[in-house]
Amino acid sequence: MNQALATVIGMTIAYAASFLGLILAYRAWRKHHKNQSHDEG
Amino acid sequence: MTVTFTFLDWLWVALFLILMLGSGILFYRLGKRSESDFFLAGRDLPWWLPASSVYATHTATDTPMWITGVIYKNGMAGIWYTFFCGWAAISAFVSTRIFRRSLAYTQAEWNVVRFTGLGSELLRGWMAGWQFFMNMFVLGWVGIAMGRICEYLFAWPTWIGLIVFSLVCAVYVLAAGYWGVVMADFQQGVIAFLVIIIVSAWGIHTAGGPTGIIEKLDVMGQLDRINPFAFTGWWSGDFPIAWFITMMLIAFLGGFGMGTTIDWYVEAQRIQSAKTVRDASYSIWWGTILGLIRNSVWAVAILAFFVLFPNITEQSEYEMGWFRLGFDYLPAGMLGFFFAAILAIHLSTISSHLNLGALYATRDLYQHYVNPQASQKRLVQVGRISTAILLLGSFFYGLIMEDITSWLIFALWIMAAGIWLPNILQVVWWRFNAWGYLSSWIANLGFSWLVVWILPELNLIPNLLDYQQFWILMILGALVYFPVTLLTKSESMDHLVHYYVMSRPIGWWGPVREEAIRRGLILVNGDLVAGAEQASRPSDTFPTVE
Repeated sequence: MNQALATVIGMTIAYAASFLGLILAYRAWRKHHKNQSHDEG
Repeated sequence: MTVTFTFLDWLWVALFLILMLGSGILFYRLGKRSESDFFLAGRDLPWWLPASSVYATHTATDTPMWITGVIYKNGMAGIWYTFFCGWAAISAFVSTRIFRRSLAYTQAEWNVVRFTGLGSELLRGWMAGWQFFMNMFVLGWVGIAMGRICEYLFAWPTWIGLIVFSLVCAVYVLAAGYWGVVMADFQQGVIAFLVIIIVSAWGIHTAGGPTGIIEKLDVMGQLDRINPFAFTGWWSGDFPIAWFITMMLIAFLGGFGMGTTIDWYVEAQRIQSAKTVRDASYSIWWGTILGLIRNSVWAVAILAFFVLFPNITEQSEYEMGWFRLGFDYLPAGMLGFFFAAILAIHLSTISSHLNLGALYATRDLYQHYVNPQASQKRLVQVGRISTAILLLGSFFYGLIMEDITSWLIFALWIMAAGIWLPNILQVVWWRFNAWGYLSSWIANLGFSWLVVWILPELNLIPNLLDYQQFWILMILGALVYFPVTLLTKSESMDHLVHYYVMSRPIGWWGPVREEAIRRGLILVNGDLVAGAEQASRPSDTFPTVE
């Protein structure tokens, strides 16, 4: 495989994994806050 | 070259593999007890076990290659490259202690101990995803190095060395988790250390001993090679003084921070597996000292190799120098023992990264964000599944990496350059906040592509030397994260006081320290008041250590 292409694919997977973590964190945070305001309500 | 093994050689290899697999069987019951056992050996290890694991993990199959490369190319001045690990000499007494006190399983988890709110959670998720990838990447690059060694020795296709030995390693990691890793690492560390000494001494002897090597270098007009300060000027050449100073700064100031080098993430797991703060400190210090002793022995052996084979110009050829000393000169029957030691070097790194990557996936991504109520049995199961995914991913990465070095440098720059200073600031400066830290990570990804690949490719800037890339990335990053930090709110004082009481950081923590004293949690002399840690715990329970 062309090394430039391999680097782009490899690093894209890296960013995808990081953004997946970011999205999971955001989802969990929103859910937590929704539950919290529901409990307070 | 190809090597022919006798029956005795294969017997050494078989005995070693049985010993390693035995670790998985012996510690299977301990590993499956809980998440804490599967990933931290129950946080109850005496210092010498994580120390040997630090040493063994950072002795990988590619380590003798790149150390051989820098010594063969630069002479003894190349030894300074290996002083990257000098950060641990400081860290053992600074950030190691702070991190151990935080009780965070991972560096990602530490973010929600140090920071608070949405920013801290985003940091945790981001870092966990990044570390999952990074461990897969390291596994790929170490795996392909083993593939190349097997190709070199036995003329096997590269994929065989990549896949077969990683699979063997996965057996004991899957079975016993970190218990298997750390127990096997101890044995592998001892075997590797002994064989590194034996092979190096054999090579030095073959080249005429230390005196003979110096005499031959003198005759060759290469006596400068024994001078560790033989740099190529201040700013240019293969090894300028500017690069030396940059490396020493990165290494030693980096010890005040967390994550200033890629090795920190491995160390973080060993720090938390030590039974006390003191054990954690000793383990990092001793593990690193062993590494430096190893590097010094290697360096002299590579000078011996240079004397024996002075005219190699191809990097890929001279990088195999230390392996050649063993395979060309050891007597028959010892070759298998040498290969078993190479396997020890290989498996110790593979096993650590398999378990570490799975820790981020399990603890930070699955348990914290997907299923906080998961049972201990379920968490161990997820740990095993993550280990298997990492293994398969590493095969993919290994097979697409032809040129290891450029990938390695790029990944290391991403980790080290633009976020180097933020990694220190998060430990030593109370005002540094989650948004500043997160922005430094994201900005660095963009800047590193621009500075390292895109702008030079478009001829907008020249190809920069390593130290120039480092400083430019650091300045560009600072232009983003300092304003972001100062324009966003500091972390809540309740949270900072709790963190301060729990971790007792050093640096610029004046306002937080004064508040902790005012609340009667610490005394003016810095001593902790009994029960202060519990009393300072903030009421919002989401961002906590479970």
